[in-house]
This record gives sequence, C-alpha cells and structure tokens, in this order.
Amino acid sequence: MALSLSAEPAVKQERAPLRVSFWRSAGDPVTRADLKVTLNGTDAKLLRLSSPSDDLVLLVVLDLAGDLSLVDPARAALIAELGALPPNTAVGLLRAQDGLRVLADPGTSREKLGEIIGGLTISGRAGLLDAFEPAARLTDSILAKTRVRLAILYVTDSSIGNYREDYTNPVVNSSDANDMSRRFPEGLVNEQIQRVKNEIAGALAPIFIVHLRYQNDRLAAAYQTGLLDLAAASGGEAEFCHAVGDIPAAIATMMGAIVTQQTADVEWHDSNKLKQVEIFLEAEGRTLHYRQRMLLKGPAAGRRSN
Amino acid sequence: MRVAVGALLAACLAFGQNAAKPTELQRAIEEFKIQSRDMGLREDSPSVTQHNNGTRKWRWHGRLFENFRSDILDAVPHEVAQRGGNKGILRRNQYGFNLTGPVYVPRVYDGGRNTFFTFTFEGTREKIGQTSLRTIPTMAERAGDWSSSVDSAGQLLQIYDPQSTGKNAAYNPAQAVSTENLEYNRAPFPGNRIPTSRLDPTAQKALQLYPAPNANAGPFFQNNFFVLSPEVNTAGGAIVSVDHTLTDKQRLTFHLNYSNGMHGSMRLFESAANPGSPIVDRRSRSAGLTHVFTVSPQSVNTLSVSASTSQMEYERELGDDGQPFPRYRFSPYLSMGRANPNTKSARNTYAASDGFSCRRGAHRLGVSTQVIAEQVHIYAPQYPSGDFEFSSGLTSLPGIINTGHAFASFLLGGTSFAERSVVISPSYFRKPRFLVSGGDQWELGRGLTLSVGLTLDSTGPRTEKYNRQSTVDLSAINPANGLPGALITAGENGAGRGFQPWLTKLDPSASIAWTFLKKTLARASYSRSYSPIPVYTSQWGTQAFNGTPTWISANPQLTPAATLDQGLHDSGSRTFPDKRPEAANDTVADLIEPTGRQPTYQSGSLSIERELPGLFVVTAGFDHSDGRNLLLSNSGANPNAIPLTSLGYRDQLNNEAFKRALRPYPQYQRFEVYSSWPEGHYKRDAGYVRVEKRSSAGVSLSASYEFAKQMDDYSGPYGIQDFYNRKNEWSMTTGSTPHRLSLTYVYELPFGPNRLLFHNTDWRRYIAEGWSVSGVTSVTSGDPMGLRPQFNNTGGVVDALNVNVVPGVDPHVSNPGPEQWFNPAAFSQPADFTVGDASRTHPSLRMPGNQNHDVSVNKRMAIGPEQSLELSLVGLNFINHANWNDPDTMIGPASAPNVNAGRIIGSRGGRVMQIGMRFSF
Repeated sequence: MALSLSAEPAVKQERAPLRVSFWRSAGDPVTRADLKVTLNGTDAKLLRLSSPSDDLVLLVVLDLAGDLSLVDPARAALIAELGALPPNTAVGLLRAQDGLRVLADPGTSREKLGEIIGGLTISGRAGLLDAFEPAARLTDSILAKTRVRLAILYVTDSSIGNYREDYTNPVVNSSDANDMSRRFPEGLVNEQIQRVKNEIAGALAPIFIVHLRYQNDRLAAAYQTGLLDLAAASGGEAEFCHAVGDIPAAIATMMGAIVTQQTADVEWHDSNKLKQVEIFLEAEGRTLHYRQRMLLKGPAAGRRSN
Repeated sequence: MRVAVGALLAACLAFGQNAAKPTELQRAIEEFKIQSRDMGLREDSPSVTQHNNGTRKWRWHGRLFENFRSDILDAVPHEVAQRGGNKGILRRNQYGFNLTGPVYVPRVYDGGRNTFFTFTFEGTREKIGQTSLRTIPTMAERAGDWSSSVDSAGQLLQIYDPQSTGKNAAYNPAQAVSTENLEYNRAPFPGNRIPTSRLDPTAQKALQLYPAPNANAGPFFQNNFFVLSPEVNTAGGAIVSVDHTLTDKQRLTFHLNYSNGMHGSMRLFESAANPGSPIVDRRSRSAGLTHVFTVSPQSVNTLSVSASTSQMEYERELGDDGQPFPRYRFSPYLSMGRANPNTKSARNTYAASDGFSCRRGAHRLGVSTQVIAEQVHIYAPQYPSGDFEFSSGLTSLPGIINTGHAFASFLLGGTSFAERSVVISPSYFRKPRFLVSGGDQWELGRGLTLSVGLTLDSTGPRTEKYNRQSTVDLSAINPANGLPGALITAGENGAGRGFQPWLTKLDPSASIAWTFLKKTLARASYSRSYSPIPVYTSQWGTQAFNGTPTWISANPQLTPAATLDQGLHDSGSRTFPDKRPEAANDTVADLIEPTGRQPTYQSGSLSIERELPGLFVVTAGFDHSDGRNLLLSNSGANPNAIPLTSLGYRDQLNNEAFKRALRPYPQYQRFEVYSSWPEGHYKRDAGYVRVEKRSSAGVSLSASYEFAKQMDDYSGPYGIQDFYNRKNEWSMTTGSTPHRLSLTYVYELPFGPNRLLFHNTDWRRYIAEGWSVSGVTSVTSGDPMGLRPQFNNTGGVVDALNVNVVPGVDPHVSNPGPEQWFNPAAFSQPADFTVGDASRTHPSLRMPGNQNHDVSVNKRMAIGPEQSLELSLVGLNFINHANWNDPDTMIGPASAPNVNAGRIIGSRGGRVMQIGMRFSF
C-alpha cells in the first residue's frame, strides 16, 4: 500500500515518460502495433499505451451563469450522457463561479452527480478563464502519480462581458469622440487567452469545452476563438452551440471523444533545458487528435515548466 | 504530510480492510481529494488556501495604459494637402489604469471570494485639427462692389437698388412675371456697386468680425475659405463596480460611472461672430444596483435600480457689448453667429426593474416589469440677440431669378425674417414610462424552438413641473380672427398637463429556430414595437412662458421685415407669461401633436446558418423592416403648409398677407414641430451573406456583404416638396447605402514557444512571441443622390423644390470621376411657380462610395508569470486612401447653368496612427 501519494513517489523517481493523450473521431482503438510516435522528428519508444477500457477520470467543470433556456437543456443532456458512461469512468464535478470549487469528488455514482447538477444554482459571474490553470495543476498532479486516463470537460455559457474582471474595455468618457483605442476591442481578451495558454503550456490533460451559445460580435469571436485555441493546444476540442437544439449533440460529441481517449507513455530524454517538443502520432487509417507540441523541461514530463 | 497520510488512511478504509492495493482509479481519486484540498478548492480546505480561488495568481490585477497620437506620425490629410497645407494638427494622450480584485481593508474586511471590485480611470488630453471649406463674400462684395461678382454660370450677377422700386404701369397680370413683363421696375446699382452711404452701419460693424477669403478652390469665387482649426478636448472619468456574493443564491452588483468632458469645437472665425458649434462642458454620472436571486435551480429573479444624469453647459461667447453675437444668415455664404449661445441642460433618468424567469418542462417563462422616470431640465434661449435671415429678394429684380444676392441685402441691412428668443425661466420636463413583459421559449421538439413575447408599454405625456407648457389647440377658436387655432397652456381651461394622452400599447414578438439538418439552423422572427416620443433637450412647447417675437416681411422682394440699424423692437409691451389665446399669432408657433400617435416599427427576418467543415459558419438571410408615424422635423412635416395648387397664384404669393390667407391656420406663419410630428414612413429590405471562420491556429475572420434597399417619404437635408401628398415623396432614403462589404480579422502569429515557428525558449522568445495582426476593412457604395434646383421661385410656398427630369438624357456617365460624376444635363430647373417632377432622391444615381482599411499590429511580451507589456500600432485608413467628396448637385437654370454641377472638389481622409502601450499585471 502506498502511504505517501502526495508527498513522495512510491518508488524512486525514474526518468518520467512523456504522456500524450489522443482520441479518434472514428475507428477502432489504436494498438501498440498501429501507433508510431515521433518526437522532434525522431522515432520515439512507446513505453505504454492505454486503451478505452482503462480507467478514466473525467472532471466536469460547470461555468453556468446565464440564460436558463440554455442551462437547463445542458444540465439534462449532461446528466443523460454521464449516466451512459462506462463504469470504469470516475466523474468529478466542479464549478468555476467565484473560483474553482469542488462540487463532487470523482466517483462512479451517477445518481449523486445528477442530483448535484440538477440542483445547481446558476447565478453568478463567468469564471472559465480563471479555472484553467488550477484545473491543469490538479490534473497534472493526478497524472504524475497515476496511470489513469484523464480529461476535463468544461460546460459554459460564459460571455466575455460577464467576468468579474474587465476584459471588454467599456467606454469611460462618452464625450471623447476621437477615441481609437476601442477600434480593436479584442486586445484584452487575446491578452488574457495568451496568458492562460502560457499557464497551461505544460499541462497534460486534454481540455474539452462545450459552449452553449455561439456568438459572433467581435469580442465574443475573440473569446470563443481563444477557447478553441486553448482546447486545441491541450489536445482537446471545443464545440459551440448555435441553438438550444445543438446542446445535447455537442455534449454527446465531447463525451464520445473523451471516452475513446487513449494515452501513450513515450520515452523522453533531454537535458534540464526548457525545450519545445513537437509530437507526431500516426496510426494507419485513423485520424488522431492530440497535442502537437509541448513546452517541457525534461526529464519532468507532466510538470508545468514555464 | 499529515493531511496526506490521513487521506490515505481514509482511502484504505474505503477500499476495504483487507489492505488490498488501491487501483489506479482509487489512487487518482485520492490524489484529487488531497490536491483539491491543498489548493483551497473544497469546503473543508484550510481557509488560507481558499482566498486565491485555487490559483497561484496575485489577488489584484490590472493594467496601466497610454495611447499616443501626433500629426508627426500621420499622413497629411488629403483635404489639407489639396489646400496647400503640409501638416495636420494632432496631439492626443489617452491614459489610465484599471485595478480589479477582492475588496480588502486591512483588519476590517477581507472580501476573499465574495466581494470583488473593479476600478477603471481614463483621461484624455487632445488637440485635433478639423477642416472646413466654405464660401464667404469677397472683400469687394463686403465693400458693396459687386462689379466682379458672377453667378454660377460665370455671368455678372446683377444687384438692384430696392429704393428705386416702382410699379410697372405696363405690367399685364394675365401674363407671368418675366423680364418682358415686370410687375415692378427696379434699377440696378450703378456699376453694380452699392454706394458706401447705403451700407448699413450695423452690417459694416459686424463684418469687422468676418474673416477674409484665403482659398480659391472655385469655381469662380466659390469655396474661398478654408479652415484648419483645432478642437481642444479634455475628458476624465472612472467606472467603479463592486460585485458581492451574499449567499450561493444571492448576488449584489453595484456600479458607479462618472465622466467630465470639455468638448471644444473647431472655430470657423476667431471672433465673437464664430458660427461654429460652441464649447460644451459635459458631466455624466450613473449608478446602479442589481440583485440576482436564484430562487431555485430553475428560477431566477433579477431586481435592479439605476439613476443617471447627463449635464451640458455651453460656454458663453460674448461680443464687445457683453451680449452674444446675433445670428446673420445670408445663404449661400457662411453665416455669422450661432444658435443657443448660452444653454444649460441636465437629463436625469431613474429606472427600476424586476425580472423573473423560470424553466418548466420544455418552457422557459419570463416576466419582467420596468418603471422609468425621465427628467430634462433646460435653459436654452435659442436666439437671445436675434436671428436675422436675409434673402436675395430685396436686391433682386422682383420676380426674376438669378438676380440680387442675400449678402447684398445684408449689406443694406434689410432682413426678410427675424426672430428673437425671450426665455424667462428654465423648463423642468418630466416623462414616465411603465413596461410589463412576458415571454415563453418553448422547445417544441428536438432542434425546434418557438419563442413568443408580449410587452405592455405605457407611456405618459411630457409634463412640466410648474405647468409651464403651451401649444396650439388646432380646434380652439382664435379671438383675433375667429378661426381655429389658439394658444393654450398646460393645466388651464380644461387642458391637460401634457397635451397628449397616456398611451398604452402592446408590442408582440415571435421567433422560431429550427435545426433541420446536421449543423444547419434556420431562424425566422417577427416583432412590432412602439417608440415613445422622446423628451428633447430644448424648450420647445413653452411659448406662452418664453416668447419668440417674430418679424416677417410683408413682401421679401419689396420691403424688409426689419433693418439692422433699427434693430428688433417688440411692438407693445409684452410681458411673460403671456397666456392669451392669440399670444402666438404672427409667429412660428410651437405645436405639440395632440393625438399622441407613436412611431411604430415592424420587422421580420429569415436566415439560414450552416456550419461547414473547417470551422466555417456561413449565414445567409433576409431582413425586412418598416415604420410608420415616424417623428419628423419641420423639413418633413408642416401642418400649416400651403397646398401646391396655390402655385397658380404665382407672383401674388410673394405678398405675405395674400399667402397667409392660403394657410390652414393663417394666424401663424408656420408651426415648429421640433422632430416630434408623427407622419413619416419607411421600408427597408436587405439580403446578406456572412462568412465566419474560426481556427485553433489563432485566426478569426468574418466577412459580410449586404445588399439593401431603403425608401421613405421624409429623409434628406432639404425637406420634402409636397406635404399633402406623401406618396409623391416616396423615394430612396438619403444616407442608405445599397452595398456594404466588411471584413474583420485577427491573426495571432504562430511564433514563439509552443507555436509552429521560432519556438526558441531562450531570450529570443521575447522577440518572437506575442505578435498579432488585426484589421477592419469596410467598403460601401455611395448614398442615393439628392438633386436640387438652384432657385426656388415659388413665393415661399414650397420649402424644398425638386428638379425636373430632361426626357431622353441619360444622367449617368460612362466613367464617373471628379470632373463629371453625373450628367447635369439630364436635369433642369423648374419654371417659376411650378414644382419639379423628379423624385426627392434619384433612384439610381449615387454619391461616391467609401472605403476604409484599419489595421492594428500588437506585440505582447510576458515579463513575468502574470505581468505583460503590450505595444500596439494602430493605423486608421492604413493605406491612406482618399475618399471623394460629394459632387455639386445644384442644377441651375438653362439661362445660367451651374458650371460646377456634377463636379467633385477634392477628397478627404488620411492615415492616422496611434501608438499604444499597456502594462498588465
């Protein structure tokens, strides 16, 4: 029995492998024989490959602050999808309002989750952008010490104008007729997205985002493009719902990607120098979605390094 | 460590006492619990870890910024370069800061997760050049010498001596007045020079404040005054907001905004006679409190109250006599003096609302109510020193166009119309409004949603705190002439406080959204709404308390209404308030529309949105909107207009007494309806296509094209020709652009660590990373063209005369350019006392289009985990594109055609650069 999970590794720390999560849009699971891994242009040794039948921890982070007509269908769809997850999946529930908070520890009981989700109050401020970094820290810690598959699913209806922090740069002096500084209003949004991106540059768990409301004004476009960028950079994906009717399908799509997720532990040797790792995964006949580059200070895969 | 061991022990108990090795999943769950506790993400986390909301970040964040602009960075504006200038005027600093985070008062209060504030301050100091190209009298003309003055065809413009006027004994009333059949004989000034002794001394004194010509853009002596003058503006303001979580179910948000600004308009003259806009001090304040109560997971109540005030004070500019300079108007020359030289106003708005929404099954139901109280406090004497209008009639050959000149009449001191504002007291207007709304969003089936809503909108009339309001009751008998139309005052003799009824209307709306194929969404919507008549920032409708004595010429071709040397002297000894029913007789009387008809808008839309592979979203749609009872100003509505059938009286219409008898309410010269007469109609149809592309590679792009057609019966700078036949006025809306193309894009360049290129992790990353390019491009076609005849010889019956169409002549030219944008030969000046047969705006001729390309290049540098510096270079009109000015649309008579018609003088615009710096922490 390991008695020191969070303090020291159970065994002497060896050179940690690089863990790469990937998922398929379609097709059978990838086997060791199928998978070819290239790191920085050279073939890499595959140490371990998990399959969809291996244990999965899914952290669902709810960032719901707005319209009931969107939130309620999302809750219903989420409860339905969680109920359909295989028993090897432990689902934890968190909410992003007023700081990331745990609503339910990961577990395999879906009933309790349903009750919590159904009874969740939705008033509040958007908190998604503040949730990425602590969530990444939390998941990195788990991945560094266990071999489970792990993913984070954010369900959000957040608008960039509903954050406690001001990213919209509202007009202060309405009498200032020659103001050019708001001609390109997305500057603060892009800055914050890049900051978050840097914060999770070394995070291992893929991020999946379901945004309940697609918007196309400039600020919303910058925000939602930023979410897309963050999800893709982590090896995950983002879906934006154009109508209420899109919500169940979007959540189902994300769940499908999450449960089929696999992880590859790849041998990784490098000095203690901060370095970018270019990753290339190939499995014949299948399109793989994964994180293509990572900023690491080897041999410490799984740690934030910048 | 103790926590970790405890957790593991608990884990052991949970996993069984047989000491089986925990599975990977169990280990992961335990690690989750331990880490989330240590990070302060749980209820049972140590309190000290909870303050930072689980992040490692600083508790307070913010930014400092400065945006700088200077003419040394800009291209010389095209309009300045074309007048021989080599630089504009621009110096601008915009600076400020933002701070946000939990409220923390040492030893008193720690807001932690619950109380959060944001404070933003921004200030501006600016000096920015504005340009104007106008026409002013030549120095010779000011001295009375018109021997070189020409008309728009380049022919000598003859000035006649009004003192030589005499009845033509040979005049044949059965024939139209013409040079061969003059009603009055009048001799030209010898040598076309007004003798010095005849020049009005008041006019001569005023002209000392009038600048000399300084340009020669032409044609002839036109466009001879170019001004490049700075606006000096300052602004400073702040936004404060505090967000407090009372409980998991209740939240309070408070916001407070204040802004002080001084808007200094450009000066056309460096004297008290400056006709430009005044310098305005502005102060605005607003505050609001919102309480959100989540009654249950399926129901939310939002209660909010707010108050705002916006105040303006025009800076007084006084002449040598300590009084504001009068307003002298002698079109087409630039006037002297201005309206409202001494105005103060405050607009206060108080609002309270409550909204409740809940979800029941497939229905999302919502009800809300709102109460709004609006106040306008104002003191605004429009013309305290008088408004004097001069026409060419006094120096013309009576009845003959293209003779005489308004400025020559000014030199003689004879005005055709004058009025003076006598404002005794400020006005304190009030207007209430109540709204109750209900709606249901019903999910009919998978992918099909129907939304319906209904709003009960109840609006009260404008009232005045002390009942100091008046209007003309069109049914009351005027004791002066026994005809309908008499002045009434609020709250007296049976009149209501507001002259209009309380209006309660229902605004319905419905929409449907249907996802009928994968990733394809169809939307349709319809709505109808009523708009309340606003409370304008003006003292219109207080004529019994604040008078407007008016002087009207008995015949502007023969006698002046008043002369400058004698000034404006009220007949009798009027004192205010003057509530007599006949008190507004012989004036432009304020008229409040009595029925309270409200502007009504209707709109419908249909669109299809399709998400394509590659994160493309294509939307195509059609919008329709129309409106009726739209509020019109004097140029679009005249309840006292003379019917066009009266044009048959021809030259008799120059006689004010004769003409007045033809008006529906002859005791009034006309009515002042102040943008509140509900008679306008419009219709707009537009089709559009929009393509949006979002990419995880940091690209965001949106392109849209719209084709629209908008028509109405009121728009345009000149007014309408026939107030009694609005169908004849139905034409393209002035200012509506049929074609509109826009493109916006943002590209985060893939440079730096964790990016595609230049992913060095050493010092070079500071150079490589953080670059982005943004842009906005818009291209629009020109507005519909409105053509005007140069002369309006209808005896004042028609305010805005249309041109005639010359049959068989194509108004279009093959290669429109500045030399000839359209073919003026396709149009002609209507004959005297006839109306034009062309539409108010041309159905196919357009003004020049516009295009604009703005680009921003940004560079971010992370200088710490949470600190970054961003530099930006913004270029408005980045490629320094020049947009053509509008062509001259004035059509002259065949005897003296406007040689400038169809030509464009110059272009405008120029690249403007701004350097910005922002430090974020």
